[in-house]
Amino acid sequence: MEIMVIGLNHSTAPVEVRERITFPGDDDGAVTRMIGDVEGVEEAIVFSTCNRAEVLLTAADAGKSEERLIRSIGEIHGQDPSTFRSYLYVRHGADAVQHVFRVAASLDSMVLGEPQILGQVKEGYRRATKARTTGPILNRLMHRAFFAAKRVRTETGVGSAAVSVAYVAVELARKILGELRDQSILLVGAGEMAELAARHLNNQVDRPIVVANRTYENACILAEELHGLPVGMERLEQQLIRTDVVITSTGSCDPIIGTAMLKNVMRARRYRPIFLIDIAIPRDVDPGVNEIDSVYLYNIDDLQAVVAENVGERRKEALSGERIVSEETEKFMHWTKTLDAAPTIVALKEKLEHIRATELARLNGKFADLDHSQREALESVTRQIINKIAHDPIVFLKKTGSHGKQNVYLDTVQRIFRLNGAAENQDESEEP
Amino acid sequence: MDLVFFKIALALYLGASAAYLVFLLVSSESRASLGFWFAVGGFVAHTLSILHRAIFSGFFPLATAFDALSAFAWVLVGIFLLVRYHDPSPIFGSIVAPLASVLMIFGWTLAYQVKEPLIPILRSSWLPVHVMFALAGNGVFAFMAVGGLMYLFQERLIKTKRLGRLHRLLPSLATLDTINRHGLPFGFFLLTLGIITGAFWASSAWGTYWTWDPKETWSLVTWFAYAGMVHQRMVLGWCGKRAAVLAIIGFGLVMFSFVGVNALLGGHHAFQGANRFMLPSGF
Repeated sequence: MEIMVIGLNHSTAPVEVRERITFPGDDDGAVTRMIGDVEGVEEAIVFSTCNRAEVLLTAADAGKSEERLIRSIGEIHGQDPSTFRSYLYVRHGADAVQHVFRVAASLDSMVLGEPQILGQVKEGYRRATKARTTGPILNRLMHRAFFAAKRVRTETGVGSAAVSVAYVAVELARKILGELRDQSILLVGAGEMAELAARHLNNQVDRPIVVANRTYENACILAEELHGLPVGMERLEQQLIRTDVVITSTGSCDPIIGTAMLKNVMRARRYRPIFLIDIAIPRDVDPGVNEIDSVYLYNIDDLQAVVAENVGERRKEALSGERIVSEETEKFMHWTKTLDAAPTIVALKEKLEHIRATELARLNGKFADLDHSQREALESVTRQIINKIAHDPIVFLKKTGSHGKQNVYLDTVQRIFRLNGAAENQDESEEP
Repeated sequence: MDLVFFKIALALYLGASAAYLVFLLVSSESRASLGFWFAVGGFVAHTLSILHRAIFSGFFPLATAFDALSAFAWVLVGIFLLVRYHDPSPIFGSIVAPLASVLMIFGWTLAYQVKEPLIPILRSSWLPVHVMFALAGNGVFAFMAVGGLMYLFQERLIKTKRLGRLHRLLPSLATLDTINRHGLPFGFFLLTLGIITGAFWASSAWGTYWTWDPKETWSLVTWFAYAGMVHQRMVLGWCGKRAAVLAIIGFGLVMFSFVGVNALLGGHHAFQGANRFMLPSGF
C-alpha cells in the first residue's frame, strides 16, 4: 500500500490548463467514485479549487496505478492526457502526506495563509466519505491534516496580516475608526484601484457611499454602480466634514485637498478622526495634512509598503508552519509503519504474553507451595491458552495480507486490542 | 484557611498572566482565551476571598493595606472583564492580570494582618463606603491612563505608518477613545462620591467635615482637574490624543494624592500606631 498525490496547481500549471482540469460535476461525489473505481486504487479523495486540482489516494502498487489515473483524469475532462501530463506533479509516501498537510494549512496557497483552502479541503473529504471512497488510511490522514492546519493557524501568524491593498485599507480603517458599520465613505474621482478599495470598504458599512467627481454625470454613473450618492466637486469641503473615510483618485495635477482646507474641516469636525486614502498619481492630498491632529493619510506607496511587509511577515511565519507540518508528517508516517501484518502480529502476541505474565505474577503467593513440575504445567497451560486465542486472528491477518481490505482489518485489530501506538493514536485522533 | 480563596485567586491570576505572556510572545489566540478564563476564575475566587474575609474575620474590609490592595486588584480585574465584554483585544488582559497579581503579592507579603484591633477612628460604617468609592474611582482612572498610553502609541504608529505586530496587538483608536469617553464621567462620579463620603466619615470621626489636611487638599485638586476634563470632553468635544494626554496627567495627580501625599506631606490620613503600610490607599 502506498499513499500518493497526483495533480496540478498554480505553481505547476498556467491558468489555461487549470481551467480545463477542474473535476466538474463532483457535487454528489460521482467523480470521486470514478477515481475510486480505477483499478488498483483503494482509497481516494478529489480536491478542486480555482488554484488546484488534485487526487489523493492509496494504491497497492502506486507505480502501476499512476498511468491509469492520468488516463482516467483525461477521460473525466474529455482531454487527451498529453495536453496536461507535463503540468502534473506526483508525490509518494511521506512527500504526499506532507503535501496534503501543507495544502490544508494553506502553506501551498498562492496567497500564503489564506483561510478558504481548509474549507475546500474539508468539502472534498466530505464528498469522498459520502461516496465511500475513503478508508482507515485517508480518514486518519485527513483528520491529521485538519489537526495540522489548526495548529499552524493558532500557533503561527501565517494568516494574520492583510496582504492586499484593499484589505490593508479596510484593516487600517478599523484600527482608526473601530466598528465600520456606522461610518461614511467618500470616493473622490474614479479609477480601478480606488473603486476596488471603495467596494471593499462599502461592504463593511451600512450608509451609502458618496461619490464626488469633477463632472456630475460621471459621479452619477459610478454612484449608481456602487449604490451610493453623487455630489459635485464644489461640495467637497462640506462632504469632508461628514465623512470618516476618504478615497481619492482624480487625474488632477495639483492637490485637491490642501492643508488649509483640511484644517478648517477638522475644526468643524471637532477633531473626530478622518482616514484619507490617496490612490492618485500625482497625489490628490497634500502630504502635509498628515501632521494635523486626528488626520491619518496613506497614499498608494504607503499601503503597498504595508502589503509588502505583511507578505514578508507571512513568509516568516510560514517557516514555523513548515516545521509543524514536518512534525505531523513524521507522526503520521510512524503510524502507517505500524499498519502492517508482521508488526501487528508481534504486538498482539506481546500484549497477550504481557497479560499472562502479570496475572501469574500477581498470584505468585498462592502458588508458593507448588513444586517445580506443577509450576511447569501451569506455565505451559497458560501459554497454550493465549496461543489458542491468538491463533485464529493471526491466521486471519496473514491471509488478508494480499487482500485489498487489509488496512481496515489491521486497524480494527489494533484498535480493539489497543496495540502499541494504537491506544495513544486513538486518543489523539479526537483532537481535531 | 483565612487566605484559601485569596491564594486560589492569586494562583489563577498568575496563570492568566503566564497565558497572556505566551500570547504576547507568539500571538496565539488560544492562549489569550485561556488567560481570559483564568482571569474569570480568579475574579470569582477573589470575590469569595473578599466576602470570606469580611464575614469571618470581621475586617469589613479595606481598613488594612492588605485588604485595600486586594480590593484595588479586584476592581481592576472587574473593569477589565467589563471592557473585555465590549472589546476582545487581549492586550488589556496582558496588563491587568500581572498588575493584579503584583498588587496582591505586594499586599500579602507587606501588610497582611490576621486580627489586630482597628484603631477607633477606623471603626465607622462610612469607612468601607468611602474607601470603596475612592478605590473604584482610582481603578477607573488607572484604566483610562493605560488606555491613554495605548492611544498615544497606536496613534504614533499609524501616523508614522509602522503597522507591525504592536499595531495589530493594540486596540483601535476608537475603542481606546471609548474607554476615555465612558470612563471619565464614571470615574468622576465615583471620585465625587468618595470625597463626599470621606467628609461624612471625617465628621463622624473628628466632628468636622473638612480640615484642609494635605490629602484632602490634593483630592480636591484632583477633583477639579477631572471636573475640567469632563468639561473639555463634554462641552468642547475634546477627544482622541488630547483626551488621552489629559487622562495620563490626571492619573499622575491621582497617584500623587494616593501615595505621594502620605510620603511627602504627612497629615492625618497617615495613621500612626497602626501598621506603617496601613492605608497607602489613603483617603
